[in-house]
Amino acid sequence: MAAFRSFRDLDWAMFIISMALCALGVLQIYSATNGTRWQGAWWRQIVYIASGLLMAYVIAQFDYHSIMSRIYLIYAASIVLLITTALIGNTVFNSTRWIKVGGLTFQTSEFVKIVLVLLMARYMTDLKTPTVEWPDLLRLAGLAGLPFLLVIKQPDLGTALTYLPIVIAGVLVAGLRWKYLLSIGLFALVCLPIGYHFLKPYQKDRLASFMDPARDPKGAGFQVIQSKIAVGNGGVWGRGVTKGSQTHLGFLPVSHTDFIFSSFAEEHGFLGVVVALVLYFLLIMQVVQNAQSAPDRAGVFICMGVGALLLFHVLVNVGMVVGRMPVTGIPLPLMSSGGSNTWSVFLMLGLVNSVRLRRFISH
Amino acid sequence: MDHLPLGPLSKSINRLVIMALLFAAWSAVLVARLCQLQIVEHDKYLRMARNQQEKREAIAAPRGSIYDVNGFVLAMNENSRMAVVNPARIDDKAFAAGMLARVLNVDASRLREDLENAAQTVHPGYLVVEPRLTPERAEELKRLKLDWLEIREGDIRWYPNKSLAAHVIGTVNREGHGQAGIEKKLDRELNGEPGVARVIQDVRGHSYEQTIEKQPQPGKNLYLTIDARLQRVAEEAVRDAVVANHGAHGSIVAMDPYTGEIRALANFPTYNLDERPRPGEKPTGIENFAVMAPFEPGSVFKIVTLSAALQTTQLTPTTMIDCGNGTIRIGKRVIHESHRGFAALTMQDVLAFSSNIGAIQIGLKVGRDGMYNYIHKFGFGQKTGIELPAEGTGRLRPVSKWQEASLYSLAMGHEIGVTSLQLAQAGAVIANGGFLVKPHIVAWRQAPGKEKEIVKPPAPVQVLDPQTVITMRQMMERVVVVPGGTGHRAKVLGYSTAGKTGTAQIFDYDHRVYTHSYNASFLGFLPVVNPRIVIVVTVSGTTGEAGYGGHASAPAFQKVGDFAMRIIGVPRDHPDEVKESLPKSAPIDNENDLAIAGLTEPPAFEEEAEGAAGDLPEVTYAGSRAPKLTGLSVKEVVQMSAEHGWAVDVLGEGLAVAQHPEPGAPLPPGEHIRVRFRRI
Repeated sequence: MAAFRSFRDLDWAMFIISMALCALGVLQIYSATNGTRWQGAWWRQIVYIASGLLMAYVIAQFDYHSIMSRIYLIYAASIVLLITTALIGNTVFNSTRWIKVGGLTFQTSEFVKIVLVLLMARYMTDLKTPTVEWPDLLRLAGLAGLPFLLVIKQPDLGTALTYLPIVIAGVLVAGLRWKYLLSIGLFALVCLPIGYHFLKPYQKDRLASFMDPARDPKGAGFQVIQSKIAVGNGGVWGRGVTKGSQTHLGFLPVSHTDFIFSSFAEEHGFLGVVVALVLYFLLIMQVVQNAQSAPDRAGVFICMGVGALLLFHVLVNVGMVVGRMPVTGIPLPLMSSGGSNTWSVFLMLGLVNSVRLRRFISH
Repeated sequence: MDHLPLGPLSKSINRLVIMALLFAAWSAVLVARLCQLQIVEHDKYLRMARNQQEKREAIAAPRGSIYDVNGFVLAMNENSRMAVVNPARIDDKAFAAGMLARVLNVDASRLREDLENAAQTVHPGYLVVEPRLTPERAEELKRLKLDWLEIREGDIRWYPNKSLAAHVIGTVNREGHGQAGIEKKLDRELNGEPGVARVIQDVRGHSYEQTIEKQPQPGKNLYLTIDARLQRVAEEAVRDAVVANHGAHGSIVAMDPYTGEIRALANFPTYNLDERPRPGEKPTGIENFAVMAPFEPGSVFKIVTLSAALQTTQLTPTTMIDCGNGTIRIGKRVIHESHRGFAALTMQDVLAFSSNIGAIQIGLKVGRDGMYNYIHKFGFGQKTGIELPAEGTGRLRPVSKWQEASLYSLAMGHEIGVTSLQLAQAGAVIANGGFLVKPHIVAWRQAPGKEKEIVKPPAPVQVLDPQTVITMRQMMERVVVVPGGTGHRAKVLGYSTAGKTGTAQIFDYDHRVYTHSYNASFLGFLPVVNPRIVIVVTVSGTTGEAGYGGHASAPAFQKVGDFAMRIIGVPRDHPDEVKESLPKSAPIDNENDLAIAGLTEPPAFEEEAEGAAGDLPEVTYAGSRAPKLTGLSVKEVVQMSAEHGWAVDVLGEGLAVAQHPEPGAPLPPGEHIRVRFRRI
């Protein structure tokens, strides 16, 4: 098999697009953290990107089937990891998400995404029926629900929610009867108000402030208002690198991580925003194109899972930044500063390449 | 591994397309939103960003200083450290007072009282316990680390001469805005315009860069027409006049008759500008009676009656006027002469002896319209427009509202309200050759580094013919020099002097009767030919014959007139000497001696000579010799000159390096000391 995997066969278009996004990200991290206590985050980000690329290359060399065959074991291990995180993890801002290994901290919930993508692919591949039936849905709900609840418990609603598009994409690609879709939709509608009661007070605040940011402009609504001001302040041409006043006077919260798109929009304007969004669109289309050329069902599910996840991340993050979505705190793939997120995105892109490299193999 | 080939997947394509469309729709929403924020509403968000990132701060403009006509400092800003306490936060006031008193070296029980009284004031949380801290004391207070005490640094208004010209200068309030006097009336000019600085601030309110959008426009310096030396003498004269005659208050206005420049404007009681009233204490002595308070002038007003007569009738100074043996009947009312009645007097004697009946007879000849016309022309019943707040208009009824006896009353100065300032303005008409000149008190304004702004007074309006003026001057001189004339105490030795006394009963508005307390006034000018100064002295609340204008007010006129002649440098025009002039005037009494004794008294310098020797040993002040000022700072020099009444011209900044006249050289009264300062 090795003979068919050439270096040249890797998805170089995807590589270029993702590198372009990473470059925008590093530039923005540099700009946003310039003169703050996070100064230097940009070169750490470069290290993450380089190591992420290496991980992607390595995982592309693995046959995804061999990973999928051990996926239940990996899934069990990741659940243990989440529980371990809850027990011995680092607590930052009242949320226990990180595990320290050596000098590095890992956000375990980020890596669970990849496990779920592969799990979904495996489950759908094993499916005996042409569509997904009730028992399958229940089992899937259970398999995804366990890590979902563990992550919510951290608490990290944003990351937990990113698990949903993976499952939904899998189910939809596999095939779901309309009536099932409708009943799930109705069930979700019923569940929403109940779920609301389980939200933490700050989450309720965020939701309420999303509905009406002026309700508490100094508190929960602050981030949304400041983010909108930053985006609007950018105008068409932007304020220029390190010239974003919202970013540099500290009005914009976490301007190099979750709200990086906001500071990017302020400094590069509508023009920069369009460039970034076009790059994301091309990236996702590249992933979808790999799904189309996948050699088998498993490959399709992997690519579609990854594509759905990236799309979800981008749309929710941008929606949050422009005040069209509640503040959930999920990062913008490839641009936000942070190791775990960067690595998890590169690992997923590596998986897509793993599928691509094997597209001409028939079993 | 693939149980199902790709085939069935195609069925799910529909759903995927629908999903893709949903996502596309959502993407469209987001892009539309970005368009809205960044393109359509960009200006709005730009404004919002600016609003929270930038703030505008006022940059205080230095308030202008106030000088007298010779450049003598009357009010200036001083950078100082203030000790401000918040009495509301002090639990143990006695302990706090004790502690502060030790550091500030003040009376502890008095301070404690102030702290307790402060709670009842308008600003219960604010009490200035010391407006000018020395750096050492400020340090000591800071070391105490008291949470109710604050050391504030900033400009405070400094009045180096304490009470000198208090009513002219006025004071400023806590915010630095004028509360009285020139400080209030010309507050805007003194204040200048504060500048604007744009400050960038971060989310925590820390300021970063500052760009000055508008430079502050420093306030203009005001140079008054007041001569501090004459002002000082006038204040002493009015104080002595009020105290000696047991009056309630008094005023002196001295004015250049040709230009309307007020050379001195003094009131008693007065107050110290440099001392804030203690908490709960009502400020006293702040009324500027000379400008604000109209009164019935009495006989002094006869100059208006006689001027009108000379202008409109055939009467001459020697025309005999029927004085009805001291009584005249108007309807039911009978008017009596105040001391003795005359059968008939010449018009000039009507003025000299201040005959009421005679004045009434003359007034009757002038007639109602003529009287009203001339009263109005002399400026009565109208504001003079002087640059001082709350000027009184006085009261002059239109002829249509006059009663039968009104003409009688007006002829001798009743039924009309006038201010001392208006009287001075009227006196100037006769003194300057017949023109109504508007009094003013600001000589020029000058913004730092700019040209002088001299305000042109309105053109004088001719009121009297030259012949009338000459006649009036001669008649008024007789008031002072003729034997038995009411104004003989006003005679200034060596100078021809003209004037008119006035004594009017004060009307008690509560009981609607005339009381037996008087407004004693004297209006005069000298020398008679080409008068250089018009002086009005008013003492209110005198009693008895000694409380008449000729007794109570004329001596003050004499003192001020004498000093004015000296500082203006007018050559003597009258040959009289003490020995010759004394036997001439018939009613020689003790007061006459006093008035003459006053001539030789060195004005203004008696008390200060002792203080100088004790407090400031480096200055050798010996009589009228120039002090040594070199080596002192501007502030020290100004302070000392304020205490001693020297006219000092300050040139430059820093320490005094040269002076003229040299220390110890003779310093004639009125001579300026020019001191050159240099930063070392």
